[in-house]
Amino acid sequence: MMYTLYLDRDSFLHKLDPRVKIIGSFLGIIAFILFNSPSLLFVLFLTIILALVLIGKIHIREIFTVLKPLIPIAIVAMVIWPFILKPWYFGLFIGAGYGIRLLSVALLTLGLIMTTSQKDLVLGFIRMGMPYEIGLTLTIALRYIPTLYMLTQTIMDAQKSRGLELEKGNFFQRARNTVPVLIPLIVASIKTAHELSIALESRAFGASKRRTFLYDIKMEMKDYMSFGVLIALFLLTLYVRYCLEIGYTKLF
Amino acid sequence: MIEVKNLWHVYNGKKVAIRGVDLTIGNEIVALVGPNGSGKTTLAKHLNGLLKPTKGNVVVDGMDTREYSVAELARVVGYVFQNPENMFFEENVFKEVSFGPKNLGLSEDEVETRVKWALKETNLEGYEDRSPYSLSGGEKQRLAIACILAMKPKYIILDEPTTGLDEKNAGAIKRIIRKLYSEGHGILLITHEMDLVLELAERVVLLYEGKKLFDGAIKEFFDLDLRTYDLDRPRLLDISERLGMGFLRDINDFINSLGMIP
Repeated sequence: MMYTLYLDRDSFLHKLDPRVKIIGSFLGIIAFILFNSPSLLFVLFLTIILALVLIGKIHIREIFTVLKPLIPIAIVAMVIWPFILKPWYFGLFIGAGYGIRLLSVALLTLGLIMTTSQKDLVLGFIRMGMPYEIGLTLTIALRYIPTLYMLTQTIMDAQKSRGLELEKGNFFQRARNTVPVLIPLIVASIKTAHELSIALESRAFGASKRRTFLYDIKMEMKDYMSFGVLIALFLLTLYVRYCLEIGYTKLF
Repeated sequence: MIEVKNLWHVYNGKKVAIRGVDLTIGNEIVALVGPNGSGKTTLAKHLNGLLKPTKGNVVVDGMDTREYSVAELARVVGYVFQNPENMFFEENVFKEVSFGPKNLGLSEDEVETRVKWALKETNLEGYEDRSPYSLSGGEKQRLAIACILAMKPKYIILDEPTTGLDEKNAGAIKRIIRKLYSEGHGILLITHEMDLVLELAERVVLLYEGKKLFDGAIKEFFDLDLRTYDLDRPRLLDISERLGMGFLRDINDFINSLGMIP
């Protein structure tokens, strides 16, 4: 069972300040949107994979596992273009770029999640100005995914013991068969949320406007350096795209 | 007869939960005891096919659980889960109890007869139109039993049926269990409440780290050094033994015998 995509490793990327990683992914996504030449996008795509493997200690197999579900969508994005853009081989060429762009943007986001623990990720967002309440909500939501998964299994077992057959019948029957599982699950979720809110309030949640953190993140030399490198790379991207006008074909 | 033969269960190819357990259950009240994580629930889930053996066999009245679905086995083995709320989803008690028998494909008349009978057995007559969620803890537990009972299984597994209930409600559950036993059901009681074991069970099966360490009569079970298995010996036994009253299973027997002490 995979509860989370995070892979606990001891690598440069893992130790990097989450804020740098968040901004890095964001700039990366912008870079991918700036270009539409497939060869250039492909090189950028390989660069990200290489970065994740070399400085993130993520196995190439693990990258493939998280990207696998998106491959069909990437292929659809690719084969749709020849219908819009003529001649067809040019459409396919541009379509390939779009497919790679889709996978790359996904990989940037997934790479961030794979190398940053939930705790660090939320803290990074809060330190960048996200209100603490939203950060906490996010943490709680993520924290309860495995719990609810286990609860769903228990409820399914209980209903199967009453003769419920989840896999039986056509699509509509199957949809209806989920009702005996969904209702106890929703009731339990609402109850848990209610109890949690009481627990939070009884521990004086929101009593003070300014919070302190037991565990905090701090920008170190390597973080500033990495941030500098990211900005430099991004500026280079802008230079290549707008001054040298490479890597973008005007389509319409 | 439920027959478990050399059962092994491994979760996700990693965690070994059951290590070669042999067990038979007939028309009797068997208590399945053991500390948390000893494999009680894993073993019980094999009896109605929720889990299939990694190695070994589970045969229920001649049916190998590998070859039958949980729904098919539900006619023979009923499983009352620990938290009753995990199964309630209908708007009223009557509909809730009829869910099981309807799944068995019974006629409407038969479903109604069974629901009425199950509600009577669990003293829930008159609750038909109440919402399951509006019931008290003890009533919810009784409703959970009624839901399973309406499918008329020969064997009934009860997972911690009295946990969290007060004396009065726990007493009601105990009476229901005794009654079901006297009507010919085989009962498997999963619990770590030793008082409940002492009061109800004739036979005890002790699981520890996935192995069956003891299987025998209740009297011999309480001769074991239970603390080794993180279980408590009921105080009633200690006191009655020290007073030379022998093996007393009920606090009322104890009180009655007090009168005989000069």
